[in-house]
Amino acid sequence: MTLRADNRLADAPMHPVGCRSCGATVLARKSSWHQTSVQWTAEAMASCTSWVAGCPSRGQLPACQDLRDSIAQAVVAGELPVLDDGS
Amino acid sequence: MTALDNGIDEVRKIEFEAAPTRYARGWHCVGLEKNFRDGKPHTITAFGKKLVVYADSQGGLNVLDAYCRHMGGDLSQGTIKGDEVACPFHDWRWGGDGRCKQIPYSRRVPMRARTQAWPTLLQDGMVFVWNDPEGNPPIEGQEIPAVDGGPGTAGWTDWAWYQTRVDTNCREIIDNMVDMAHFFYVHHAFPTYFKNVFDGHTATQLQKGVSRDDLRPQEKAIGAPRRLGNTSVATYHGPSFMIDDLLYHYADGDVRTVLINCHYPVDEHSFVLQYGISMERPNGPEDPVEAERLAQKMIDTVRLGFEQDVEIWKNKTRIDNPLLCEEDGPVYQLRRWYEQFYVDVADVTPEMTQRFEFELDTSKPNEAWRREVEENLARKASAEGRVPQAQGV
Repeated sequence: MTLRADNRLADAPMHPVGCRSCGATVLARKSSWHQTSVQWTAEAMASCTSWVAGCPSRGQLPACQDLRDSIAQAVVAGELPVLDDGS
Repeated sequence: MTALDNGIDEVRKIEFEAAPTRYARGWHCVGLEKNFRDGKPHTITAFGKKLVVYADSQGGLNVLDAYCRHMGGDLSQGTIKGDEVACPFHDWRWGGDGRCKQIPYSRRVPMRARTQAWPTLLQDGMVFVWNDPEGNPPIEGQEIPAVDGGPGTAGWTDWAWYQTRVDTNCREIIDNMVDMAHFFYVHHAFPTYFKNVFDGHTATQLQKGVSRDDLRPQEKAIGAPRRLGNTSVATYHGPSFMIDDLLYHYADGDVRTVLINCHYPVDEHSFVLQYGISMERPNGPEDPVEAERLAQKMIDTVRLGFEQDVEIWKNKTRIDNPLLCEEDGPVYQLRRWYEQFYVDVADVTPEMTQRFEFELDTSKPNEAWRREVEENLARKASAEGRVPQAQGV
């Protein structure tokens, strides 16, 4: 099957965001204040130093809180646009 | 810019390629182990073929192409003799490795007397079959993990299991993984937190939801206990086998549950859907009957959910170019992940397996976000010695 591109990315692509802790760069996108997409690369995964393993039976997924904070800071700093900010 | 003044006012066309005739590479659960242990060979139609499943004297379960390479007899209609399955036509004996071991009326087995055999795995009371169009052994690192809890753990119920055939291509059930909106409209559930993670050969959905009691007449009708909400971490380990660690929140406490949601393709236009539930007995092991009854109620609820999906699938079209709005989940990224199972290992690209996350977190209100942005702007402005502009919020 041909892999197709997400129609939503045509007008609003993902943006690079650097982690303020380890410097790993991912692609991020926010369609609203509540929604965040993150595209990792193998390189970014390898450089992440704050990875925390989750516990599925308690409803926790593995994640990097530092990157999450970095993305939130990029939003607050106006570096990562929020497509629908409700205004 | 509106669609009209952009000149984009033509009719959107639904596009789709024919469903692949190739079947996904990976482990597929074909059912509960106990159902294959009655001393008889069993027929399964999977991967576009008729297969025979039979138990040998060592306790192993073997899966072979059902058609005898001699004259085409159906081995699944034959008998188990020792460690081999015997063809009902001329009694040729086939071993679990796919080789003909003996022809009772012949002194010698001809060369090339070998049929297709599928690697199997027995775990948590289930039988798994490794399918690979390239014919390679199971990929290391793609093993199905043992469930956390489940029938093998003291205090948990046996699998309440359900199986049904669905006449559509199995990509439809995979799509469910990302379809946030359908939970509300089809299943009347209301996620307050939702996350998808695709990474390597796994795809996960984390969902925290509250139940809309007013919208669950079917649950009420079957007398299922009133549920306040749930936390669910569901992971596909490969193309077809999902383990869902579910915490059901009831008025009088949480109940831990494991839900299995798995399928195997019959052919490119149908699949066998199976699901099973095992739950930790809420009142401890001293009340097993009540727990089994509750597990059965719960699987009835799950069955109702899938029946709602099946009703949609029966009538919908295949669509390769879904037109998504910003509130939809990552359908394209999921299909990109799913594609890895339909190409040769050598053709799996990084974009199919690299980690992708999609998160919907409603815990921080929009107002709090806006306040932070404004405060940041004000800080910047005062640092630069100018008056901050009013924000249009």
